[in-house]
Amino acid sequence: MFKKGPTGTSHGGTAVSAEGVTKIFTQWQRENAGKGVLKNLLKPDKKIITALDHVSFSIDIGEFVAYAGPNGAGKSTTMKILCGMLLPTEGEITVLGMQPHISRIPLMNRIGVLFGNRTELWWDHPVSQSFEWKRVVWDIPDDVYRKNLDIVTELLDIGPLLKTFARELSLGQRMRADLAMLLLHSPELVLLDEPTLGLDVVAKRQMIEFLKKLNRESGVTIVVTSHDMDDLEEMAQRILMIGGGRLAYDGSFEGLRGVTGNLSRLSVTMPDGIALEIPGGRLLSTRNGVYEFEIDLAKHPVREVLYRISQIPDVKDVEIRKAPIEQVIAELYKAWK
Amino acid sequence: MTFKRLMRLYALYAKMDFAWLLRDAWFAVLAIVSEWISNIAAITGVFLLAWRFDGIGGMDKFEVLLMLAYYTVVTGVFQLFFASNNTGHISRRIGHGQFEHMLVQPVPLAVQLLTEGFIPFSGSSKLISGVVIMCIAVAKLGLPVTWWWVLSVAGNVAVTIAIILGQSYLYSSLAFYAPVQAEEISTYAIDNVGYISSFPLSGMPVYMQLPLITVIPSGLLAWFPTLALLGKPPLGLPGALPLLFAVVLAALASILFRKGFRYYVQKGTNRYLAWGHRR
Repeated sequence: MFKKGPTGTSHGGTAVSAEGVTKIFTQWQRENAGKGVLKNLLKPDKKIITALDHVSFSIDIGEFVAYAGPNGAGKSTTMKILCGMLLPTEGEITVLGMQPHISRIPLMNRIGVLFGNRTELWWDHPVSQSFEWKRVVWDIPDDVYRKNLDIVTELLDIGPLLKTFARELSLGQRMRADLAMLLLHSPELVLLDEPTLGLDVVAKRQMIEFLKKLNRESGVTIVVTSHDMDDLEEMAQRILMIGGGRLAYDGSFEGLRGVTGNLSRLSVTMPDGIALEIPGGRLLSTRNGVYEFEIDLAKHPVREVLYRISQIPDVKDVEIRKAPIEQVIAELYKAWK
Repeated sequence: MTFKRLMRLYALYAKMDFAWLLRDAWFAVLAIVSEWISNIAAITGVFLLAWRFDGIGGMDKFEVLLMLAYYTVVTGVFQLFFASNNTGHISRRIGHGQFEHMLVQPVPLAVQLLTEGFIPFSGSSKLISGVVIMCIAVAKLGLPVTWWWVLSVAGNVAVTIAIILGQSYLYSSLAFYAPVQAEEISTYAIDNVGYISSFPLSGMPVYMQLPLITVIPSGLLAWFPTLALLGKPPLGLPGALPLLFAVVLAALASILFRKGFRYYVQKGTNRYLAWGHRR
């Protein structure tokens, strides 16, 4: 499928290299009333935001890497720097051996970029017209185009969408169509910024399965950002975790759990007024009969926890999910101290 | 970027325009007919004045008609190549945060801007109206139409388009710094100068004519080139003045646009309107 590269996790060559990348933004601060209004005109306050602070990492060809962090952590900024939309304030970026802002055109022939909140599809044309547009603009050879189109149409199940206007697609359909278009030129590296944002469970699952298959079978290097740890853990083999502009962790998900534990959130729905205790669990909140606990499942196996809950009468629902990424990062910093 | 590739891109956008036209053919026909009527109506006022007073400011009524035809041809060419997908109104793309879509295409930015706005099927009615009116004016004036004269018209139209685009891109540079405030600035830059362009400046005092062919170049969009084509450039100025102006303006616009673009890729933008890119 697509440009055949070596498969597996790491193949020696470097797909992405970042050395001491720093990105600083300036934000004007405005006041709404009183003297502040005059100050806005004459000398508005400036806030310096360090979106990335000397971030360094390297991604090998064929890797599937999760780039995680809470909202505002600098994930999209990194993606934009990697594809040459933004220049770093400091540091060096190399993507497939090229500097994005210098070799934009050859680089764009070899990579694919997709931002979850944006579409590359032509709004007032059917999806198939956007694909045709891509074929000409990227100058994709006919045989490659036909082959890739057949593959993505089948794997992403977009056959029924090809004649639909982009503006009439649901979010999940649009994301699938966008992803299909992204792959038509056989990119060696795919950068995806929040591709699962806003997708329902079915659409998300379809997207995740497709990306895993793409990486596994075609050796396409994938870097994906998200603030949802569950999604990332399911997709990627390695996680780069960023918080406050700094790289907080670079390694496997298992390694991350070794540092922070398997921090999870446990929600138990049951009638109000029962004093519920879960071994190892810390009660965070109780609202409308939903008891939310924080629990480290590395220390307290899920089997034991569920056994304890099963002994409580009148339990209506149980839900276990990963702790929010902000908390995982906080735990990382705590562990370092 | 080869010439063949450039032509392929033009063919692509022509095909997309044709497909768009056919998708809702009935409304497209209505829109084109309405545009024909509005094109004629737009110049009728000035021409009727010229007819009633047998010319304006020393210009014969058919010379005025030729000027109006020239302006219609110019706006027609602009519509044909640059009105669609906001390639002429680039401040909209920048202001809406959609300029970044251009950066992920493996095509030089200039080529994207030259080709993406090409709409030969839905956007040619104004040009056709202009050419028809020009033929009438030329016939009434009894002008000898030689290949050289036709080439001169084409060259002058190209220069005028360069002036319009130069202004648009010059002012649009501001959208890199202030995307919200300046998103519509190219429209104002083009329209405000354009409004006066269909009025003959002949007969006006020199102190009014001069600013209108320099600071606010309305006079360079139709009046000056028409008189130059008639072999009598106004104010004793050389007929190549619009070309000189276009070169200076293009250089200035290029410098400031590049500077703005550098600012954009250094500072980024938080604004993004998801209306489909190119809107």
